[in-house]
Amino acid sequence: MADNGAHDSQMLKGVLSLALLRLLAERESYGYELVTRLHDLGLTEIQDGSVYPALGRLERDGHVTSRLVASSSGAARKYYRPSRSGYTELAHSEHAWQGLVRALEPILSTPVPAKPKEAL
Amino acid sequence: MSERKLRLADRLRIQLAVERVDWVLDGRVPMARRRQIRNELRSNLIDAAQRVGAKEAIRQLGDLQTLAVSYLELYRGRFDFQTGAAAAVIVYAALQIVGIALILAFHAGVEATGVHAGTYSLQFWSGFGPYNFSVSADGRQFSMLLLSPAHLLLMAVAFAIGSSLRLVFTRRQH
Repeated sequence: MADNGAHDSQMLKGVLSLALLRLLAERESYGYELVTRLHDLGLTEIQDGSVYPALGRLERDGHVTSRLVASSSGAARKYYRPSRSGYTELAHSEHAWQGLVRALEPILSTPVPAKPKEAL
Repeated sequence: MSERKLRLADRLRIQLAVERVDWVLDGRVPMARRRQIRNELRSNLIDAAQRVGAKEAIRQLGDLQTLAVSYLELYRGRFDFQTGAAAAVIVYAALQIVGIALILAFHAGVEATGVHAGTYSLQFWSGFGPYNFSVSADGRQFSMLLLSPAHLLLMAVAFAIGSSLRLVFTRRQH
């Protein structure tokens, strides 16, 4: 569901590959379609210009495969899907992300005190 | 969302954005990869432009230089021919400046000894020249050599060094 709150763009960059792999595992997509899918999820801060090289990186690292499909707009679209190593990477990244969330949970679940306790 | 029909101006705008990214990759990324990047970027921009218009589609790409550098970091080849070409041009310009300075010095020498109308031919070093230098009755004319085998050799050396500088630095960092 879309969330209109602003997201930290640096944080988003860190998890962009994870998000792309996850979306591609759900459905084979091309660059701009992935951008719109991310935007529909509320991640509107992600620019097209950061998604396309991220896809290139995933392909270079062997985590996705691609194929060209003719489109009605004239130029062929390049569709991506996760490779076997992509699924391994996805499982690893999801595990790492969930571990991070679990680690931060106790810190973030308590209310922020008005001022920090004195050391001595 | 309904799809917009792209006008010629929109297609030109998209092509210009693609060329701006491609220019940074020229001579640095292997040709086949550059073609793939260009085609994919154009295809995505056309899809985006049909939804939000060409101007907005290009704006959503963010800074084109940053995008090009991202591609460059991903696909950079072993050699940087753009830097090599720049080094060759700088060497050529430097050689011409030195050539002009030497001719002016020679010209001053001819004038100091009294102008003799005629044509002089100079060769500073083996392969550099001949610089043809004709002195008119008022002593104000000279012609200059634009290229010699030595120019070409030094430019080729500059091109080779400029193209492979990154290779040397990368090896040092490891």
